[in-house]
Amino acid sequence: MHRVLGLCLVVLLALPFATTAQERGVTAEEVVVGSSMPLSGPAAYWGAVGRAMEAYARYLNDQGGVHGRRLRVVLRDDGYLPPRAAANVRELVERVGVFAIVGLIGTANAFAVRDYIVRNEVVWITPTADASMWYGFRDKKYLFVTYPSYVEEAKILVDYAAKQLGVRTVAVFYQNDLYGQKGLLGAKQGAVRSRVRIVAQVPYEVTQADVSSEAVKLRESRAEAVLLYATPRHGALIVREMAKVGYTPKLLSSFTLGDPIMFALAGEAWNGVISTAFFPLPGMGDSKVDEALAVLTRVDPALRTNPYNALAGWAFMEPFVEGLRRAGRDLTKERFVQAMETIRNWDGQVIRGVTFGPDRRQGIHRVYLTRAEGGRYTKLTDWISYPTGF
Amino acid sequence: MSLLLQYVANGLAAGSLYALVALGVVLLYRSSRVLNFAHGDLATLGVFVAFTALARGWPYPVALGAGLVGTALVSAAFYRLLIKPVRQATALSLVITTLGFALLLSGLMVWIWGTDTKVFPFPLSEVRVYRLGGVVVSELSAGSLAVGLLLVAALSLVVQKTRLGLAMRAVAQNPVAAQLLGVPAGRVLAATWAVAGGLGAAAGMLLAPAVLLDPFMMLDPFLKGFAAAVLGGMDSLPGAVLGGVVLGVAESVFAGYVSVKYKATLAFVVIVAVLLAKPEGLLGRPFHRRV
Repeated sequence: MHRVLGLCLVVLLALPFATTAQERGVTAEEVVVGSSMPLSGPAAYWGAVGRAMEAYARYLNDQGGVHGRRLRVVLRDDGYLPPRAAANVRELVERVGVFAIVGLIGTANAFAVRDYIVRNEVVWITPTADASMWYGFRDKKYLFVTYPSYVEEAKILVDYAAKQLGVRTVAVFYQNDLYGQKGLLGAKQGAVRSRVRIVAQVPYEVTQADVSSEAVKLRESRAEAVLLYATPRHGALIVREMAKVGYTPKLLSSFTLGDPIMFALAGEAWNGVISTAFFPLPGMGDSKVDEALAVLTRVDPALRTNPYNALAGWAFMEPFVEGLRRAGRDLTKERFVQAMETIRNWDGQVIRGVTFGPDRRQGIHRVYLTRAEGGRYTKLTDWISYPTGF
Repeated sequence: MSLLLQYVANGLAAGSLYALVALGVVLLYRSSRVLNFAHGDLATLGVFVAFTALARGWPYPVALGAGLVGTALVSAAFYRLLIKPVRQATALSLVITTLGFALLLSGLMVWIWGTDTKVFPFPLSEVRVYRLGGVVVSELSAGSLAVGLLLVAALSLVVQKTRLGLAMRAVAQNPVAAQLLGVPAGRVLAATWAVAGGLGAAAGMLLAPAVLLDPFMMLDPFLKGFAAAVLGGMDSLPGAVLGGVVLGVAESVFAGYVSVKYKATLAFVVIVAVLLAKPEGLLGRPFHRRV
């Protein structure tokens, strides 16, 4: 009897250790990752990134997963609203129990959940948000970012406009939230550096439907170039409206508008637009990227209408999966972090040149420029690097 | 001067569409005292139906007609199956019912048509423009204004000159008395919902080529239409039109000369100001409560 009681006691005492040894979101069969993004509302277009993450996981699982574990992606819709993103992340961490958050769309949304994620030491791979939000930020042990900085990107665009296009005055059309404001900030900094004058700052709200007055406002500024920080829909609308009122400045845009769908939405007016990009775009002759897109659209044919976001979803998942591979079968958070830190100049199928390290969490710090012409983007420059910030 | 006229022209084009949305909202509120928050989503559904019909090669009149009729039928069915059974409930329950239906519709549209932005083909071009002095107006904007005015005229003709219109007015004024006098109130209300749905779909179809089509494209125009209805007077059809046009022009001129940043806020400021100064709206009848 005493022996039985003693055995029970040992089992009871050992239980907490047994449960703590189990990593959240990791079982013998699967690894659970979560993300929050706009699957409804005015920015729902970007939600295709989540569908692509799911499609990529399915493709990976069909090949046996990683070290025998399947990847399960849990998506939550935040309608592009920061409070809903915060609630979603809490649910993903505390109720669903995810091993990592991959992505999370929107700079304002990422800001809203940043403290919670850091405080709870959740692995966070590539918040789809302006990377400069991490400059000078401490406690980044579990963070790994392969997304460019809007601020740095805007500087590069303004620089190019000044030096290569001979532009002296620039106007900025931007989304009135952190995404657009970071672009505007970069444009201002770039303007100082390149001796260009910002002659108009024209914001719009993401819910707004009509931007005709904004187009007139931009025309009145007589800027030689207009910089766009918008959703694909608003980017297309403003370009069309500007053409309508007879204003045809040089156009430069963030990589967020690097989608081939822009040609369908904006029509002829999209020709000549100069954008940045942080991975090879589909149809540019990069066979690995084209192959990745073929895989994604085979798994989820609906992604065909959204090739750029589909590839972005792949690009966000890729470094995470590489980390899982390097961490081995015995997966813990700490082992995963150590494994990620060994990634140096690593080329994935879509994302290229990723480097992490014990003091480095900014995996990429470069973009290149493209030019839109006749339904395609052509490469305009080689990679342009900016200083690593974190 | 031509700059001001340009802002006014832009405002008129947007305002005529706000007016169409506001008309639907007012029509329903007058007749059944329901604020229909699913109005925008119903309109979007109509556009998607027309979009699918066009993609299958149907000619424009048939496809656009299918969208209008389809929306009218769904709107009438919504009244008969969901609103009618809860009509006696509190105003809040009715609002929640319409909100629930709005969510259902938008979820359905995302499921069927996806969330990617689509180009809605339309007989009028957004790119072809007329230049009148220094003012630029696209073929589509001019067409929207004309069609908007035409629909407003047609609606007022129906409401003022036909038996259905008379029945609509009677039911709106006193449903019990109308019923006692032999007016089939249920059917008249269903017809009113159908007309309102059709109007919404028409607004959506004129809007979609200009602002591109996705399941959430009516979010902003619906809010503006709602503000226009409050501005004009919730029980006045001419008020809805006036409210729409005034709001459209005010927004555009405000963006041009005061602040482009707070343009989107103007509609809400208008709602608050009107409710404070003239709660019945510009053309609405004053409220009287007899004790």
